[in-house]
Amino acid sequence: MKMTMEDEKEQPAIRVRNLQKYFKVFKHHRGFWGALRNLISREYQIIRAVDGIHFDIRPGELVGYLGPNGAGKSTTIKMLSGLLVPSGGELYVSGRIPWKQRREHVARIGTVFGQRTTLWWDLPVVESLNLLKYIYKIEDRTFQKNLSEFKEILDLEPFLDIPVRSLSLGQRMRADLSAALLHNPPVVFLDEPTIGLDVVAKERIRQFIQHINVERKTTIILTTHDVSDVARLCKRVMIIDHGHLIYDGLLEILQDRFGDDRELVVDFAEVYTDYSIEDARISQADDLRITYQFHRNEVTASQLINRLSSKFRIRDLSVREPEIEATIRRIYEEGLLEPDTEK
Amino acid sequence: MLSALTLYRRLIKIQIQSQLEYRASFLFDLAASIFYFSFWFLSIALIFQKFDNLGGWTLPEVAFLYGMVEMSFGTMDLIFSGFDPQSFGQQVRLGTFDQILLRPVNISLQIFGSQFTLRRLGRIIQGIVIFGMALTWLDIDWSLVKVIYLPIIFLSLVCFFGGLFIIGSTLTFWTIQPIEVVNIFTYGGSEMISYPMHIYQRWMRQFFTYIIPAIFLNYYPALYFLNKTDPLNLPPIAAFLSPVVGIGTLFLAFQFWKIGIRHYQSTGT
Amino acid sequence: MMVVQVKKVGKMRVFWELAILAFQRQLAYRSAHLAGLVTNFFFGLLRAAVLIALYGAREEVAGYTVTMAITFTGLSQAMIGHLSLFSWSDVMRSIYSGEIASDLLKPMGFFSYWLAQDAGRALAAFLMRSVTIMFAYAIFFNITIPKKIESWAALVAALFLSWLVSFSWRFLVNLAAFWTPNAIGIARLLFGFSWVLSGFFMPLNYFPNWFQQIAYATPFPSMIFTVIQVYLENLSGFQLLQALMSQVLWFFILLALIQVVLRAGIRQLVVQGG
Repeated sequence: MKMTMEDEKEQPAIRVRNLQKYFKVFKHHRGFWGALRNLISREYQIIRAVDGIHFDIRPGELVGYLGPNGAGKSTTIKMLSGLLVPSGGELYVSGRIPWKQRREHVARIGTVFGQRTTLWWDLPVVESLNLLKYIYKIEDRTFQKNLSEFKEILDLEPFLDIPVRSLSLGQRMRADLSAALLHNPPVVFLDEPTIGLDVVAKERIRQFIQHINVERKTTIILTTHDVSDVARLCKRVMIIDHGHLIYDGLLEILQDRFGDDRELVVDFAEVYTDYSIEDARISQADDLRITYQFHRNEVTASQLINRLSSKFRIRDLSVREPEIEATIRRIYEEGLLEPDTEK
Repeated sequence: MLSALTLYRRLIKIQIQSQLEYRASFLFDLAASIFYFSFWFLSIALIFQKFDNLGGWTLPEVAFLYGMVEMSFGTMDLIFSGFDPQSFGQQVRLGTFDQILLRPVNISLQIFGSQFTLRRLGRIIQGIVIFGMALTWLDIDWSLVKVIYLPIIFLSLVCFFGGLFIIGSTLTFWTIQPIEVVNIFTYGGSEMISYPMHIYQRWMRQFFTYIIPAIFLNYYPALYFLNKTDPLNLPPIAAFLSPVVGIGTLFLAFQFWKIGIRHYQSTGT
Repeated sequence: MMVVQVKKVGKMRVFWELAILAFQRQLAYRSAHLAGLVTNFFFGLLRAAVLIALYGAREEVAGYTVTMAITFTGLSQAMIGHLSLFSWSDVMRSIYSGEIASDLLKPMGFFSYWLAQDAGRALAAFLMRSVTIMFAYAIFFNITIPKKIESWAALVAALFLSWLVSFSWRFLVNLAAFWTPNAIGIARLLFGFSWVLSGFFMPLNYFPNWFQQIAYATPFPSMIFTVIQVYLENLSGFQLLQALMSQVLWFFILLALIQVVLRAGIRQLVVQGG
């Protein structure tokens, strides 16, 4: 079925229903005799990398996709980009089945994989882009327009003539982003686009991503370990853990529900034998500086401060709000969210 | 189709340009390559001074076989560089094969266009020289059929070894490391058919007649060209089966390749 | 200016440790060697068939009987694995990657450092491949085995010396990396020549005299053919001594060349600010 530009805008950009991916991992025997055993015995374990997830993503959304290592993030992205065939369920990107209609699908998406480059290793960046222009059949006008826009925002000029293998990580990332968006894809997958970059470089990339999303209404799924990327860019966030979607909703609500941890850092005036107080637990103790953790819906900061000052002599204190990173970490570590099995 | 060919030409041009960039290095490699392969044949020629024939075949007759294999293997190595199991296996291992799946271009085309090792020209040139010399030394009874059939033999050999390369590369989808046994068939096989095959032990000959019919690629056509009697007494059609084996192998190899890609897509790395 | 801590351990001890490590490392590649064995055996079969066909009705040519010729094919295959003759680029890789800077700071000589590692590797490869392939040959074919005890002694000496010569040669070739980025191309060419001139491809006896003279003017026969000749007991007492002395001589020649080239190379490296 030939897709038209209008069709692409009407439907949800991405539709996923009960998506599953199982891997058979064969027990691997070591050593010489093991190699022979490998041929004969076929003992295996089934790993459920993605175990039935549903979501819809509307055109123009910028969604964060989080999860601890091995949760199923990259497996999902691989299925969405067409690299991996699902074990079950349905998956549509712009109305196409990615792995089935590979060439048409791939022509209308953009991908950046932080760990690898999409460009040709030995070619100068501009040569790679020219080659991509030909491969994606990009009109000259569009190509020039995009190229000058990217040159300006991402400051490509200094390294356009340098082969990709000689680029720094930050430069390579910028080149990869340009390459991914050159053909104006309506849907883009970004897998760890800021990994290994310094703060300034990260900010530049984030600004670019936001610009693309706002100006071109590009649908973007952003997978990252850096939760501050998500905090900065995404309103909606999905969290996957052990193959299940444990959260799909607004970031604010997540923060509200689980971000009720607070820290109270106290500098005591003198040494005491026992620093404990009610409703708070000590998370760190360095000489005279004690860090307490408490839940703000159990006890308020001012209540704690009162209790402290009635028992001890204090020199200084400060209250710290949790960062979204800490919240997410808590969710992973303490298993605060259960997969929603009703959907 | 046209755009596919143009893209292939573009990719190859890039390969060639980057190799020619280091002109001195390239020329040296080329000269070294010619020298080195010629040296090998030279030593065979010298050996023939002490023994005057190989299983009843004279030096020019052996050169006919040898030169043909060198020309075609070298050509195959050049065109199918991307499918060399060593380098392809590395692509799979490093995960750069994913990049190929993410481009809206035919996968095989990209692999063909990914490498074009010009250095291989050395082997091709050496092969042409040897084969040319063989043709001038030998007193071949030329006919129209023979003239037309000669390039067909060449192409069949290219297809056959290309097919083996593809099979070797496809195996790396399962094994990750390229398996050395494939070398036996490619490099071993090419060396083997460079000599008249009736000299080999019965079980080897039978294997390469009925299981991997390499004997029809080069040896039987040579019997036809050189007007030699067939010591194994196969029907005369045997001389013309070269394209069947060559194209058949390439065809089967591509089917296996498709299976390999499907496997890769369902298991990832 | 880096300060290098030299442990108060004898140089021999370090040498030994390196060799053992390399030996163990090589043992881990068992499955690769198994595959290599199969390849060796196939090529051995091939070359044996070619030789038998060349012999035809003749029983002996240039001092080699058919049986000796067949044994030759097994022996030459056996010599490949542990001598790593077809490619060895560890040193050039070290030079290109810059690792050489730290290699040179090691408390032992650069050459000895690599020699130790190759000793371990070669011994492991020898045990896994060379010995095995001769056993396989003994089962499959009618081969000759040295009859005299002196021959076995000479064989051990020849094997050891051939390894020294081949290693020095490989090492020397790798040093080209100091001056050109295309050391691998040069190596390929030179290794290629060594295949024929070393008597690996065909026994040197089959070649015309002038060719043999050229071959013996190179270190290559000392790497392979001498061992084969000793095994086949094809040398008289005097010739045997001559051959072994040749190996020793070539080792020292190459060693001297290495000293000169290495010094020049390091100077080159320092000048370039490597």
